[in-house]
Amino acid sequence: MSNENGNAYALTTLCPLMAVCGQDASPAALIRDRLHIVNTGAWSPLAKVPNVYFSRLLILDDVVYQSKPHRLEHLKSQYLVFEASLHGKLGPFLEGMWQCAEPFIRSMWEFCVGFSEVRDARTFTAFIEKCQVKTTFFFNGSTDEPLAEQLKSLYLKQEFSKFAYDHQGLSAKELQAAFKAFIARVEPENLARPTWRAGATDLSNVVIP
Amino acid sequence: MTSDADAVLDLHDIQGNIIKAYPRFGYPRARNFFLRVSDGDAGRAFLSALIPTITTAAPWTSGGASVENSQRPLVTTNIGFTYDGLKRLGVPRASLQTFPEEFAMGMSARRDILGDDGPSAPTRWDPVWQGTEPVHIFVSINGRDAAGLEQRYREILALLPVAGVELAAGHRCQSEGALLPYQDSSAIFVDGEATSREHFGYSDGISNPYFKGAGTDSSNVIGGGKATGKDPRTAAGWEPLETGEFLLGHKDEAFEYPVAPVPNLLGDNGTFLVYRKLHQNVGSFDSYLDGEGAKFPGGKEALAAKFAGRWRNGAPITSFATERKANEFAAEWAAAKLAIGQASTQAEREAAKQRFSALNTEFVGFDFTSDLAGGGCPVSAHVRRVNPRSALEFNVKGAFSTPSALSNRRRILRRGLPYGDSRAERKDEGEHGIIFMALCASIRRQFEFVQQQWIDYGNDFRVGNDKDPLLGNHGLDENGECDGRMVIESDPKSPAPPYLCAKIPRFVETRGGDYFFVPSLTALRMIAHGIVDPT
Repeated sequence: MSNENGNAYALTTLCPLMAVCGQDASPAALIRDRLHIVNTGAWSPLAKVPNVYFSRLLILDDVVYQSKPHRLEHLKSQYLVFEASLHGKLGPFLEGMWQCAEPFIRSMWEFCVGFSEVRDARTFTAFIEKCQVKTTFFFNGSTDEPLAEQLKSLYLKQEFSKFAYDHQGLSAKELQAAFKAFIARVEPENLARPTWRAGATDLSNVVIP
Repeated sequence: MTSDADAVLDLHDIQGNIIKAYPRFGYPRARNFFLRVSDGDAGRAFLSALIPTITTAAPWTSGGASVENSQRPLVTTNIGFTYDGLKRLGVPRASLQTFPEEFAMGMSARRDILGDDGPSAPTRWDPVWQGTEPVHIFVSINGRDAAGLEQRYREILALLPVAGVELAAGHRCQSEGALLPYQDSSAIFVDGEATSREHFGYSDGISNPYFKGAGTDSSNVIGGGKATGKDPRTAAGWEPLETGEFLLGHKDEAFEYPVAPVPNLLGDNGTFLVYRKLHQNVGSFDSYLDGEGAKFPGGKEALAAKFAGRWRNGAPITSFATERKANEFAAEWAAAKLAIGQASTQAEREAAKQRFSALNTEFVGFDFTSDLAGGGCPVSAHVRRVNPRSALEFNVKGAFSTPSALSNRRRILRRGLPYGDSRAERKDEGEHGIIFMALCASIRRQFEFVQQQWIDYGNDFRVGNDKDPLLGNHGLDENGECDGRMVIESDPKSPAPPYLCAKIPRFVETRGGDYFFVPSLTALRMIAHGIVDPT
């Protein structure tokens, strides 16, 4: 499949928005208001979902007119676009997303056509799969390893560089002892900790001790 | 029709500082000053009066005689304008809006891109840059001696009208707390001779771009042009850069005209100038070099060379691997220079000149293709960062249309001179540094890119977020310690590990500056007459 690359999966969905929702604002305007105050980075509701490399939500209003000689065209509705790059298969990911972020999902998709049928992880998966467009929008900033592996390796890389700077010029014996202590501290095999926080976008407060 | 390679520029229409690095032509002293215009008519009258003294790029003979009516002057004078300056002088809004955004914003508004934070923040700059109004006009004078400078300065002040154009005071100087209405700079003199050294002791201003039509010695193409992939020690290894990288209205390396203001006559043969007063923390530099140099294999001088990519005498470390070889080369060069003066016949003199010229090319005729891993010149060394030559091809032959394609659009003409004297007291405090100037067709694409991506970052060189060891805006880590670092690669064939320099402090701090437009003589006259018409 063009939207799968090794263990990496690129999800793109376009969920049509209802034209009206009985409130004094359009569904698109209401969802935009909610989107504008969603936490990002490590505090994003999607940072809690396992194995997301990257995700983005946006509202697609219409297609852009390209000027003459092109025709002026319009979409039949506005769409909520959800994109995610993730590790593994789509089913387990969407199930995990429902488990970790159900209130967020409900607030974002509330005004999408067909979302009223969604009751649980199974119906959410069916809903998303129905709206899926199988394109190749991959996030290039990651490999296809599980997220925990990638975060741990970034942590190890950073810590090892600090180790190299801090222990330059020691004798082989001293260096070996220091390196053993370093390994004991950073626990390369332990993916849970110490490691980097999912979703972090800068180096401050990135380490989970 | 003439071919592209024989580009002929109207050098009489181009300001002289674009083509000539004056200190290298026997003008080792400079005075820079700035004016604010409060009345457009007065400003234009002053400009009209000043134009006859502006030095053009017309060629000089070495003996001082005229070539094509171009007399070699005792003192040179050049001029530039900020965006606000052009506005005050009555350049119409429709023209102003066609200037590039970064020029319109000015240097202090670009501080985040330039890394001017902490001790380099605009709030710490000299008072001349702190006013509610930016400066409007920049005048720079270069002279052979202090008396000539002073005289020209007085002559220009005498042209100022009674009101409407004011000298912008507020340059800090060596007497503490005092402020001067001008900024002097000068080569550092040793035994009465002007040297090319700056305050850290490095020979500076060695390599400058060479472009089509510049009209200077064509041997300058070696190391100054763009790499062809052939032997970098020979002229076959280089071609001149396109004129449009340095002058508006001419084709550039992207086969386009650079972004320029409307009407064309306002921009043609003009360029942009970056003026920066850069303070040098000589005390921190000396003590870091002493401390780290005591541990570094090869010692202090080798470490200084690894920082810069050149030995302090200027010899490139990628060609001269040891201090001894660099010193032998410097001695040979000095002897060759002396021999020109001592030649008794014309033939002897010509031979001596040729010998000297051949040695000169060794300072610039090199690249990093045989030193890709950085075992000779570190990947993070200053000269390799600011002019990577063909190193960004990473030895993938044919990766780009020319081996140095990724550098060719990032070149700048450098015109700088030291200010202050740091020899008596080697400490950070005080007034000593470099008045740095860069000339280029696009401040954003050339100067700002080099400053942001190549000096204050390292991703293009695959060294993560390490910065230029000498010029980088190193800060403090979470423990309050200096956070600058640099990897000094070892020779891949040797078993030695790389050497890691940590806790590098900020050696260079910004103390002021702005962006200026340097118009052609034609455009100067149009501005002075108030006849710039974009319609």
